[in-house]
Amino acid sequence: MARIRLCNLTKRWGQVVGVNNVSIDIADREFLVLLGPSGCGKTTTMRMVAGLEDPSAGEIWIGDRLVNDLEPRDRDVAMVFQSYGLYAHLTVYENIRFPLKVRGVPASEHDARVRRAARMVELDGLLDRKPKQLSGGQRQRVALARAIVREPTCFLMDEPLSNLDARLRVSTRAEIKHLQRTLAVTTIYVTHDQVEAMTLAHRVAVMDRGAVRQLGTPTEIYDDPADLFVAGFIGSPAMNLIPGDVVGGLFRAEGVTARLPGAPFDRPGVVLGIRAEDLRLAPEGEGQIRHAVYSIEPLGDSTLVNLRPGGTLVTARVAKDHVGTSGAIVGLAADPARLYLFDARSGARIRRPDA
Amino acid sequence: MTLLAWAFLVLFAVYSSFPFIWTFLTSIKQPVDAFALPPVWLFDPTLAHYAELWFERGFASYLWNTAIVTAGTVVISISIGAVAGYALARYPGPLGFWLLMLALVFRALPRMAVLLPFYQISRALGLFDTHVLLILVLVSINQPFTIWMMRSFFMTIPADIEEAAMVDGCSRLGAFLRAVVPVMWPGVITTSLFTFLLAYNEFLMPLILTATKAQTLPVAISQFGAEDIRFWSLSAAGAVSITLPIVVLILMFQGRIVDGLVQGAVKG
Repeated sequence: MARIRLCNLTKRWGQVVGVNNVSIDIADREFLVLLGPSGCGKTTTMRMVAGLEDPSAGEIWIGDRLVNDLEPRDRDVAMVFQSYGLYAHLTVYENIRFPLKVRGVPASEHDARVRRAARMVELDGLLDRKPKQLSGGQRQRVALARAIVREPTCFLMDEPLSNLDARLRVSTRAEIKHLQRTLAVTTIYVTHDQVEAMTLAHRVAVMDRGAVRQLGTPTEIYDDPADLFVAGFIGSPAMNLIPGDVVGGLFRAEGVTARLPGAPFDRPGVVLGIRAEDLRLAPEGEGQIRHAVYSIEPLGDSTLVNLRPGGTLVTARVAKDHVGTSGAIVGLAADPARLYLFDARSGARIRRPDA
Repeated sequence: MTLLAWAFLVLFAVYSSFPFIWTFLTSIKQPVDAFALPPVWLFDPTLAHYAELWFERGFASYLWNTAIVTAGTVVISISIGAVAGYALARYPGPLGFWLLMLALVFRALPRMAVLLPFYQISRALGLFDTHVLLILVLVSINQPFTIWMMRSFFMTIPADIEEAAMVDGCSRLGAFLRAVVPVMWPGVITTSLFTFLLAYNEFLMPLILTATKAQTLPVAISQFGAEDIRFWSLSAAGAVSITLPIVVLILMFQGRIVDGLVQGAVKG
């Protein structure tokens, strides 16, 4: 069990900066998710923690040890790879036993520990199989068991679910969450899937172009995004982002007129953000957004109504029994307190102290 | 349809193996039958040529030369090829690319272009007509091929398993030994077989670079009985004798060869 600290971690390859000055303090037993699009530096950050990549600058602390110069095997971390990284020539049993063997754990302990780890991930009946005789989900479970059997101070998981099909992903996700809470081991988890991040994490670090854009609980990053990137990346459907200008406290764009809370102010070049579920159908002639319906998408549990004022797609999540027609003019309304404002150029959130 | 396919395949098999069948028949014919035109199909078979080959003409000593040269070539060029191929597969980059291109250029050089220098250097170093010389020459000719082949084979082994082994508790070398070595044998065996065939069948180099002591089978056979009428039958007996070990080897390893070849093509 350990706290993990990344201090000003940087990775450069020549002129290319992969990870730029990342600092994260991960509490003991915390489940931290590194979330971002591909190439954002999340995997590189994790690989530096594992020792598979050398940082160009900065420090990595695991517990009270500075591990920068330690070999991967001396860092006491266990890693689960996206492609599982199983040993094809060994059986499931030997795969799980491998870390115990190479670490010189007394042979008398092996069997009990292997079987306990296998039982935790429900592999009991498959111990004699070779990896190629297993399904993708079973292979990922072997990789998990191989990580568990060590009882390491830290789990590192690199997109462990992305090679599984959608159904299996959901059940394995629940399993990983349960395991992590049961074993209470500090975990760093890399994913590009915001649903995984939201469901699994104690805290999420949203990364983009090598830097952490926001670090917070899933609720914080969802309800209080720090910038335009986080706002657009988190949430499904994505947050509606409408470019426009503020004149006299009134946000204006084609088809959109919204009064902003607080004292009136002027600010050109802004982006208004509204989550789809914060928009509701307004009575005739009302609503901040008024435009013709572009398309209607019933999802079963709710229905998405899309408009395209000024070419910007705006989506509202409304009741599942909504029946509408494309082309009809509708009004959408949102609570002014649920409106987000960003600077169009820098992407920074515009916060009004009096709002 | 199947009947047609079978007929075609049988015909093709006969067509492909005809030269070998002809050689085999010649090897058990009396010289007078061997030279008969049109060819004689009914004759008294004889093993006399095989007996002469093995007991009077020292076939065994040429076989020994071939065995040493082939084994030496295979062991050395596979060892270098495996190490270099692994390095080039794991650490690509401009230098690796140019090394591979350079290897290709050396491979593409006609052997005639290097024959004379080899001859003169071997004379100067006193290596002419030795096993060592043939091994050195064949290794150098074959090395680009083994490097390329081992490299493409190692590229099919995901780096993930080595990283997993390193995190699991192995050193860099330990990860290679425990995670890669156990799964590299299909590639090593396939590459070894190709190297074996190259060294075993090589004619030009031993023809020029050996005289009496280190002469290998292909060269010896070409000269058996050259002095008289028994030439054809004796040569044919030699050709059959030299072919058999290869046939046995291929039959033994055919599954592995296909595995190894396919492994390069589609990812398991």
